[in-house]
Amino acid sequence: MAIAERGYTHWQGTLGTGRKPWRVIAGQSIRLAWKRKYFKLAFFGALFPALFFAGGIYVSERISDFKEMMRGAEKFLQINPAYFQAYFGSSFLLFMMMVIMVGAGAGLISDDLRHNALPLYFSRPLRKRDYIGGKFASLAFFLLLLTLAPGLIFIVLKLIFAGSFKLLADYPWLPFSFIGWSIFLSSFLSLYTLLLSSLGRNRRFTSILILAVYFLSTAFFGIFFGIFHEPAFCLISIEMNLRQLSAALMGAKPLFNVPWIYSLLVLSAIMGASILVLRKKIRGTEVIR
Amino acid sequence: MNIELRNVRFSYGPIRALDGVSLQIGEGACGLLGPNGAGKSTLLKVLLGFLKPNAGDGLVLGHDILKDSFGIRRVVGYMPEDDCFIPGLDAVAFTSHFGELSGMPRAEAMKRAHDVLYYVGLGEARYRLLETYSAGMKQRLKLAQALVHDPKILFLDEPTANLDPQGRSEILELIADITSKKDLRVLISSHILTDIEQTCTSLVILNKGKVAAQGELAALREVRFSLYEMKVIGEAGPFLESLRRRECKVEETEDGIIKVYLPQAVGRRDLFRLAGEAAVQIRHFVKSRTSLEDLFARTVGVD
Repeated sequence: MAIAERGYTHWQGTLGTGRKPWRVIAGQSIRLAWKRKYFKLAFFGALFPALFFAGGIYVSERISDFKEMMRGAEKFLQINPAYFQAYFGSSFLLFMMMVIMVGAGAGLISDDLRHNALPLYFSRPLRKRDYIGGKFASLAFFLLLLTLAPGLIFIVLKLIFAGSFKLLADYPWLPFSFIGWSIFLSSFLSLYTLLLSSLGRNRRFTSILILAVYFLSTAFFGIFFGIFHEPAFCLISIEMNLRQLSAALMGAKPLFNVPWIYSLLVLSAIMGASILVLRKKIRGTEVIR
Repeated sequence: MNIELRNVRFSYGPIRALDGVSLQIGEGACGLLGPNGAGKSTLLKVLLGFLKPNAGDGLVLGHDILKDSFGIRRVVGYMPEDDCFIPGLDAVAFTSHFGELSGMPRAEAMKRAHDVLYYVGLGEARYRLLETYSAGMKQRLKLAQALVHDPKILFLDEPTANLDPQGRSEILELIADITSKKDLRVLISSHILTDIEQTCTSLVILNKGKVAAQGELAALREVRFSLYEMKVIGEAGPFLESLRRRECKVEETEDGIIKVYLPQAVGRRDLFRLAGEAAVQIRHFVKSRTSLEDLFARTVGVD
């Protein structure tokens, strides 16, 4: 019998108070993103570099078997921090991450703003940090799958294929660099995406914004660097700042002769601004004063 | 008392939306009535903790509105005025999502979502994407998400807005069924008088951010003024003028019936005495049951 025919009935359970609402929001956001066909395609595309570099680790241990094929690539196939920096700092990976951010993050807040979902969220026992944290966690989840997970797998593969702990003995800080970089990169891109997603009520607009800010900052860097030949202009490019910082964390040579700490400061300032704007924009009701 | 407010003030910049609101709301269904801009939605948002009042305090089911908005949100189901949904979800995922956010276990939230969706009449459409829902379906969906965690009190903000007559009557039926549960209180904000009349037993009338009247609907109809309908023979002008001088509100209908609202200071005998003095005969005289419309018009001061 349909419930409507027997009237309203009470729920017999008890509401939990110890649950983490951000996990519920993160889970729902991940499921929503994963439902999109093009998102899956982009995500698997973003895993290609990881497969390529994992293959490189295998080949590096069997270099004599692949001598003919790998002529001239021996230097690249030396598994050292520069090898991993080539993965973590690659423009292609960063580009694919931006595509993932557009697919999973452009509508995360803008859709809620457009369809007035915020009052529904905040009529629940939910804090701003639960809401923002949940959305953040969903984006960070995908990004960590592209950074931390491959990084740790690379180390494990190297240990298995080499049959020794030489890599860890030579570079004991490497796993910590992977973890630190993955967390920083995921945090930065997630906050950057949430910030831009909160600036509009239209998913297309915020998608364009996410890509435009990223690529235009690099384009302006290219223009200024081309004219003035001043490497400090790399600080205006999100991509170049990320690559500078990844090189510093991996112990590799940076692209430009600019202290990495400046890049860290620029990126941290963007993250700080994102948190401030998000705290201001996210509220249960729109108050126009 | 389920809801108790003391001298609550809230301003949107220079505009004072709530101006010293003090009220007490007991069991059952209570209507929050007022013209547009009276402060009804603002009051609900203050009760939910969305807006912090500039002054005053209050309790909702024993939870302090200033200090324990979390406690309030655990026991309240809120149905906002505007269309609200998350694109890309179906009704089951949407409703269970908000059940989980209220603290329900995932499996329980899913089961309960099915139950409430059937209850509000969305059983057949529960797997359709929300973007494809009509206005009436979205209204039912909002009710479903407000009910999913089995709240102790429901705040319904304009529950019949944008609905056709059929949809409106169905939503009102649902609300009437919900309010028939003695342990589920309902606060309905509306400017549609008949909705309130149909579903509520008590009433708060807000006007320009202030409480213009509050109490049991039946009592409010009785105590504030009495309404009489009559027909007279003779020159009615001087008679009606003398009534107006005694602060009676007088309306004449097209079919010659005169409606007179008597303030408490004026009695029936005075009416007949004034008729005698004006040399008119009263030929038809009945005490009319005051409609909510009459009460509203008198309290808010609009025709």
